[in-house]
This record gives sequence, structure tokens and C-alpha cells, in this order.
Amino acid sequence: MDLLDRYLQAVSFWLPKRQKDDIVAELSEDLRSQMEEKETSLGRKLTDSEVEGILKGCGSPLAVAARYLPQQSLIGPTLFPLYRFVLGVVLAGCVIPRCLIWLGFLIANPSHASYLHMENLWSTVVFFGFYTTLAFAIFERSGVQFVNLVDWNPRSLPPVRHPNRIPRANSLGEIAFGLIFIAWFAGLFYPQPVIDLYGVKITLAPVWSYFFYGFLLQASANFLLACVNLAKAYWTRQRATIRLLLDAAGGVLFSFVFRSHVLVSVNAASLTPEKSAALTTWLNTWMPSLFPWCIVVVLIIVAVDGYRIMRLGKYPMSPVLGVQVGA
Amino acid sequence: MSLSTTNNDVFENLRQELRRGCLSLAVLSQLRTERYGYTLRKALAAQGMDIDEGTLYPLLRRLETQGLLSSEWREEDKRNKRFYRLSPEGTQTLQQLVAEWKGIHASLEGIL
Repeated sequence: MDLLDRYLQAVSFWLPKRQKDDIVAELSEDLRSQMEEKETSLGRKLTDSEVEGILKGCGSPLAVAARYLPQQSLIGPTLFPLYRFVLGVVLAGCVIPRCLIWLGFLIANPSHASYLHMENLWSTVVFFGFYTTLAFAIFERSGVQFVNLVDWNPRSLPPVRHPNRIPRANSLGEIAFGLIFIAWFAGLFYPQPVIDLYGVKITLAPVWSYFFYGFLLQASANFLLACVNLAKAYWTRQRATIRLLLDAAGGVLFSFVFRSHVLVSVNAASLTPEKSAALTTWLNTWMPSLFPWCIVVVLIIVAVDGYRIMRLGKYPMSPVLGVQVGA
Repeated sequence: MSLSTTNNDVFENLRQELRRGCLSLAVLSQLRTERYGYTLRKALAAQGMDIDEGTLYPLLRRLETQGLLSSEWREEDKRNKRFYRLSPEGTQTLQQLVAEWKGIHASLEGIL
């Protein structure tokens, strides 16, 4: 009976203290009954391998003990979808900005990229993943309800929205902003020897004229695209690609303004010539340092635009509304 | 993993699901008369409802916690055994479950 006793001891190790003796006694009785019955049919004592066969048939000690325990989970099925969503957002928030900043440095100034300590990324992910999981495990135990599962109303659900639909408010906003920007930009930054920016006299290098017309062209094209989007409220591959190209062109232009030394001098009535010179020098030193950050922003915008094009292939038609997205 | 292995796994999972609900009914019905675990298993097996000890004893415990069974430890053949039988609440629940089972059976007969 040595094997049986060892088996029961192994099972009892995993059982809750309060029920341990009771469960083991009952299981022991069943196994002994099985053995006795087999001995009676064979007319002899069982060998160790025959006892082993009966115990193996019963299942591993851990599996047997687990069946007596209540079903346990760190985060239950009701909370799990919310947990998975929050975990995804948190981890994406940890990883994506850091990778983009690193990429920006890698493009602009590779020697600075090593300062970002990308090897710490893994520990950051584990840290945030652990605390998110811990928080949800506590919510699960405390019975906090994020979503009312009983007293809910179908009318309070958000309206069906096709992922490729362009909200009219967005198009109207872009049109209004585009008009204001074009008027403001063309009026203030028109290439001329000295630009008067609310009393501050700014002298820009001749290269500025290229940037000026570039920005103006990009803003005008964006304005036209917003007008088309207002009339045809679903993204098409063609228009989504135009948006990506325009955003990329605008972003690259904007980034290169910072490293092209377009600023020749800054003068104001309240500034002495020495202070003006110092300010100009400081601005010309400071502006190129913004270049990597601009590249990061451009990459984020391009990624969002690229995802929009990808999504077009995924949802060519609304599965709910049956809306055909025109080419 | 081959397709037939996957199909076998799927079948086995579905079979287990199908049996799970029936086991409680089978166990409750057999405990109209008092039995201990091993004889209960033998009685169920004799009628084609095999159930291993790892499934039966946790199920008995759950049914007892729910108030459907009562149990007591008694000595028989020089060994302590735990005897189970239906409680009055269990008898009532069994009647309801049998009626439900007959309804499901009749529906499925029609569907299948």
C-alpha cells in the first residue's frame, strides 16, 4: 500500500486544509475498493505495477486535487475583454512612442539613439503589464462592476459607425481651419526681405520662398481634399493615399524648416542689437534640435494614414449597414 | 496536428460537454437509495454511464453543498465509508430536472 499512501499524500498536498482529510478518506476508500475487487478477481495480491495502473487511471495528484477546488481565475470572463483592451492600450502606450522617438533619433542623430536605453523597454512592459493585471485582479476580487450587466439599455449603445466613414464635422473643421490658415499664412509669411510678425521684424533667408510655396501648396491641396471628403464621406484608396502623401510632404517640409537655418535675424523695438543677435543665434542653435521630434511626429501621422489605407482593404463594405464604399 | 486528430479532439470536447449536464441527473437519480461512492460508480457503470472517481467525488461534494444530497460516514465491512442519499430538496429538484430532461429529449427527437 506504499504507492497508494504516497499517491494520497501527493493529492492531499494540493487540497484546502479544511477539506483535506475528508476528501482523502473518501478517495482512499474508493481506490482500496477498486484494488480489493481486482485482488478478488485475480485471487492474489496486486503487484506494484498493477497498483500503479489503478492510480494512473485515477489521474495525476494535481489534476485530481484541482477537480475538488472551486473554479478559480485571476480575471474572470466578464472582466477579461476589458482587461485585454486596457492591457493593449497600456502596452502600446509604453512601446510605440518610445520606438518612434528612438527611430527619430536614429534618423536624425544616431549617436543620441543609444541614450534612450531601449534595453529597459522590456522591464517597462513587464512593470506596466504587471500592475495592470494586478489592478484587474483586485477589481475581480472586490466585485467592482465597470459595466452595468443587468440594467442596461440598447438605446444607450453608440451608433453604428463604419471605420472608413469620414465624419462631416471633421471635413467641415478641416475646411474652416484650412481657409483660416491659408489666409493667415499667405498674409504674414509671404516671401519678402523682412516679415513683420506682430511688431517683430523677422528676416528670412531666400530659401524660405521654397518652403512658403510648399506649405501653401500643401495647405491648398488639403483644403480641396477636405471639400471632396465632405461631398463623399467614405475614404477611398485614392483619397487616403493623397492624404498620406500630403501629410508626409507637409511634415517633411515642416521638419526641414528647423534645420535649414532660414532665420537670418530677429528684431524688435524693445530689443537692443546685441540682444537681437543673441536671440537669433540662440534660435538658430535651438531649432535644429527640434528636427528629430518633428520626424517622430511625421512618422506617427504617416503611420495613422498608412493604417487608414490598410483598413480600407479590411473593410471595403460595412458589414452592418451594407454601405458600398465607392472608388 | 492532423485534421483527424483535431476532429477527434473537437468530438471529445463536445461529448464531454454533452455528458456533463447528464451526469448530475444520473447521479441524483441513483441516490434515491442510499449508496457510497464506489457502489454508486458501479451502479452507474452497470447502466452504461461510466464516471471516474476524479469526476464523481467533486460532483457529489458540489451537490451536497447545494443542499441536494445529504451524507454521513459509517463503518461497513470494517471500513469507513461515506454514504450519500437525496435530501428532500434534492428529491424535488430531481423531479424538476427529469421533467426538463423529458422536454429536451422530446424536442431533440423532433429536431434530429
